[in-house]
Amino acid sequence: MASAFAAAFEILSFGAIIVLVVLGLGIIASMMGIFNFAQGEFVLLGAYITYLAHSRGLPVWAGMAAAPFLVGALGFVLEALIIRRFYAAPIVAMLGTYALGLIIRESVRGLIGGLYLSVPEPIGGSIDLGSVHVSAWRFVIVVITLLVMVGCYLLLSRTSFGLRIRATLENPALARASGISTASMYGTTFAFGAALAGLAGALLVPVFSLFADLGIRFLIQGFVAVMVGGVGSFIGPVAGAAVIGTLSAALPWVMAPVVADILVFVLAIVFIKFRPQGLMSGKGV
Amino acid sequence: MFNDHGHLNRRRFLGGFAFTSGAIATGVGSWVLRPEWANAAAAPIKVGIATDLTGPIAYAGNADANVAKMVIKEINDSGGLLGRPLELFIEDTASNESVAVGNVRKLIQRDKVDLVLGGITSSMRNAIKDPIVARGKTLYIYPQLYEGKECTPYLFCTGPTPAQQCDEFIPWLIKNGGKKFALPSANYVWPHTLNVYARKVIEANGGEVVFEEYYPLDQVDFSSTVNRIISNKVDVVFNTVIPPGVGPFFKQLYEAGFLKGGGRLACVYYDENTLNINQANEIEGLASCLDYFKTLTKDDPVSAKIQAAYEKDYPGNFLFAAGSAATGTYRGLKLWAEAVKEANSVEREAVAAALDHAKIAEGPGGPAEMVPGKRHCKMKMYTAVAKGGNYEIVGRSDGLVDPKEC
Repeated sequence: MASAFAAAFEILSFGAIIVLVVLGLGIIASMMGIFNFAQGEFVLLGAYITYLAHSRGLPVWAGMAAAPFLVGALGFVLEALIIRRFYAAPIVAMLGTYALGLIIRESVRGLIGGLYLSVPEPIGGSIDLGSVHVSAWRFVIVVITLLVMVGCYLLLSRTSFGLRIRATLENPALARASGISTASMYGTTFAFGAALAGLAGALLVPVFSLFADLGIRFLIQGFVAVMVGGVGSFIGPVAGAAVIGTLSAALPWVMAPVVADILVFVLAIVFIKFRPQGLMSGKGV
Repeated sequence: MFNDHGHLNRRRFLGGFAFTSGAIATGVGSWVLRPEWANAAAAPIKVGIATDLTGPIAYAGNADANVAKMVIKEINDSGGLLGRPLELFIEDTASNESVAVGNVRKLIQRDKVDLVLGGITSSMRNAIKDPIVARGKTLYIYPQLYEGKECTPYLFCTGPTPAQQCDEFIPWLIKNGGKKFALPSANYVWPHTLNVYARKVIEANGGEVVFEEYYPLDQVDFSSTVNRIISNKVDVVFNTVIPPGVGPFFKQLYEAGFLKGGGRLACVYYDENTLNINQANEIEGLASCLDYFKTLTKDDPVSAKIQAAYEKDYPGNFLFAAGSAATGTYRGLKLWAEAVKEANSVEREAVAAALDHAKIAEGPGGPAEMVPGKRHCKMKMYTAVAKGGNYEIVGRSDGLVDPKEC
């Protein structure tokens, strides 16, 4: 019983981590129709900013609070300078973001000397429930993920800002005719997606330590999650991420980890074959 | 006008062509360090280093290249070898076997080096050994700790083998940890082969292996593994999971109360670089067994001298550490230099024959000598335990430990 509870928590917490990473990716993919291959590197930058704050003697939580804003601002600038030129050609946009990601990744690798560096968690240790020990920081991640998820949902479904974003996605021409600046909407959405990635990186870095390939590690899983969940809505990628994250954490409990690793992708491919529109089809939030 | 335009283009083309052919001739990422007295009567002896200057293990490769520069400079400053200066050629293997084979061919065919030292991972060694020793007809020294069983002629190994890392270490672990071992491992050749040997030693010393499991190299979540370790009441986790997985794995073990319950972490590639992956309290008591730890400089003047010389020339991120083959590189170059002196030649057969029994009295961690006929190196081994973010030596081999290979 105790071990079943521990297992459930561990699986839930890894699911939450994947959801956190996919949130920004899903918003950019669904709301803008762009597959952002630099998303993993935005996660890495969030982690790097947190490390930087820590190494300069600032409290870790200060770095974590700053990361989403700094990465969001960078996303805004990159959108205006580079991504914007490629909206007409999504494939080229994909390659462009891949190049951006490569530049960011290798720059960070140079800055940290290719090493693996630890960042302490602001709330460390474990919560003891009888014989079961639950990581306190993973618990915090689960809580923050839930809050961010609900926040994003409310923002997109209940505010006029969310309405304008969705209008821009569904019918850009009509949105422009109605007085919505689609260009600034795209810029804001991209910055928002980047900020979420920055937040994810900042929260993850105490768990996985800082290394240059931190972002790329989650990128493939992230894209599979978006495919499984379905592009076009906010809920789709989040649901996909929950499924993929839970599966990747749960399967190693019942089979050889090397097999589980592959099986997740095989299941995802089979699922997409029979339901190409993903878990959640259709537009909406 | 057309004519004029064409002329400009041709000139531009020629300029570009000159630049490109220059780049092709010297190669991108090639480094040549000429000795200061290159105008000596005799042509320089050429030493080739092929190591991972870029890619995920660049921190190790750059440290090895720095060590080579340091050793070559030291030899040149004291008069070179056989009255000839040494010239160093460094090529990047880029953690990519196909790039590496191309660059190693450059060392052999273009630069015509007399020795190639390098390669860090076993897959890299396997990729470049044939171009070096078989087709290249050149001597090859592999400096990293590895899984053993490399018995190719003209290939000499100067890093620790499983016997050197397990024979004294595992009995120590049983005494200072317990009898129940878990072997969580990354799924590639080094852990698979090392575990076969480790299991033999564990069982011979009255211990038992509770489980041995392999994970994808990029796995970062180990909740099921940690659960099995805790519920099976494992005493010693003999880890061969590598970065990036090892950091989250040790953290999850710590959070699940493994250390609090008296468990012992053990990892034979852990050196000063890997100490920083986790916070100090998460790996308190982690035991490692290597040929060198920086803390030895406190009571070994030779190690202290080498360490200080390295840090003076190369301060920064690339540490002089045993787990990244820096000590094996030092030992390899020094042993080779002794062999060249004895052979009085740089010809492959003669140097290989002398290197077969070469000895050095001074090296990081102590003296070293090749075991005749085995092409592996006897050296002193140390067991160290992580305490508050530093190592503390808890065990030393009595003399030089036999590699027991080939």
